Amino acid sequence: MGRDKTRRLSGSRHFRQRMVLATLTSTPVTIVDIRADGTPGLRDHEVSLLRLLDKISDHSDIEINETGTKLRYKPGVIIGGKDLEHDCGLQRGIGYFLEPLILLGLFGRSPLSIRLKGITNDTKDPSVDTFRMVTLHMLKHFGVPLEGLELKIESRGAPPLGGGEVLLRVPNINSTLTAVNWVDEGMVKRIRGVTFSTRVSPQIENRILYAARGLFNKFIPDVHIFTDHRSGASGGRSAGYGVSVVAETTTGCLISADATVSHTNVDELSTESEKPELMSPEDLGEQVASMLLEEVAQGGVVDSTHQGLLFMLCALCPPDVSKVRVGQLTPYAIETLRNIRDFLDVKFIIKPDPNSNTVTLKCVGAGVKNLARKIS
Amino acid sequence: LARTLSRRSASLMQLVYGKPSTELDNDNSKEDSSDEEFFIPKGQKKQAQNELPSFDDIDAEDYSKFFKSELRDWSSGDLVESIRDRFVTGDWLKASLRGHEID
Repeated sequence: MGRDKTRRLSGSRHFRQRMVLATLTSTPVTIVDIRADGTPGLRDHEVSLLRLLDKISDHSDIEINETGTKLRYKPGVIIGGKDLEHDCGLQRGIGYFLEPLILLGLFGRSPLSIRLKGITNDTKDPSVDTFRMVTLHMLKHFGVPLEGLELKIESRGAPPLGGGEVLLRVPNINSTLTAVNWVDEGMVKRIRGVTFSTRVSPQIENRILYAARGLFNKFIPDVHIFTDHRSGASGGRSAGYGVSVVAETTTGCLISADATVSHTNVDELSTESEKPELMSPEDLGEQVASMLLEEVAQGGVVDSTHQGLLFMLCALCPPDVSKVRVGQLTPYAIETLRNIRDFLDVKFIIKPDPNSNTVTLKCVGAGVKNLARKIS
Repeated sequence: LARTLSRRSASLMQLVYGKPSTELDNDNSKEDSSDEEFFIPKGQKKQAQNELPSFDDIDAEDYSKFFKSELRDWSSGDLVESIRDRFVTGDWLKASLRGHEID
């Protein structure tokens, strides 16, 4: 796989994917013009991601210029390792870091176990609950054993101050993933979910639950949403509440939606932390329920959030045909497909299916092997 | 129907991967034209940009979550009926057809 040519890219977009793909294919990359106008340079969360990459790999080489607009990254060998720790900062949720981490963890020398600190639930990134309930289960379709794959939520942290802590364990795979033929989305047979609240009245969760269940019960009686109230140290440092819901289908597809309500980000905290009107628990419940129904209406074997990851996994499979079905392609998924073509030389055959308004994608995997493991 | 189907599939490929001619370029020329590659033919461009606001923004934020601009009101009867068959409580026959239409 290794090409010794350095790839030149520009702009900060799809930073995570580029870093992951560069690492998996051992392609050095140079990224220029990172936010050349406006506030220049890498953001804190991006630098944090680079630190994380450095932590889990060996012999990697990262160089950033003074203003942070140029980055040179020479990937090393992914080591994995036990009892690692990383502070994710407060700009983005832990979800931002989990996505690249599970991909890289699979191709490590030894199983990865890492403690991540920061914001567990926020509006921009998939919540840790979604991750635990959906993302990890996606991997089993690709032949990753479920044992050793775990996300434990030790404490929660809502924005702006975070204070959450999760423990992620990812096993490393023997050599390759297995290709999938995953086109039957089935019918929704039950809905599960979990609400959380930190530093607010536990009663709020019942209000979220009640509103969400009201919408779901029009469709299906089997709705069970757990509550997870955290107080004291395990409740982090900020007040917030939220909910993640998952629709499980007869064919084992998981379709998720989540949302969180809390005070806004760090910058606005100092001046007007109490000012902005927060969404009521009832509205939140209804919103999340609508989001989930919207995803179900889209069709596809995964929800829109997981499209990118699904394509990545397909492309990393051995040279075998993978076939998947998704709903409408999201901009993020489209970018993912382009990045996959650029790094892995894998092109998907994309076919719309007008009858069900879905899209089927077929590809031949690039056959990325776990080289790190072989060496040891 | 077959013809519209193949056309739509071609345009979707084009939307994602750009024009067929550019994809064969080697790395050197990609350096210069990495942005041009993302542009799509004139007619489609406008439409595509409406759909995807951050299409050509090289510094777009890195979100995997997709935000629907507005949520429909799912308590209304029509919408409820529209996805009724996606649930096990709906019509199984119709739902089983759905998966096979593609073959």
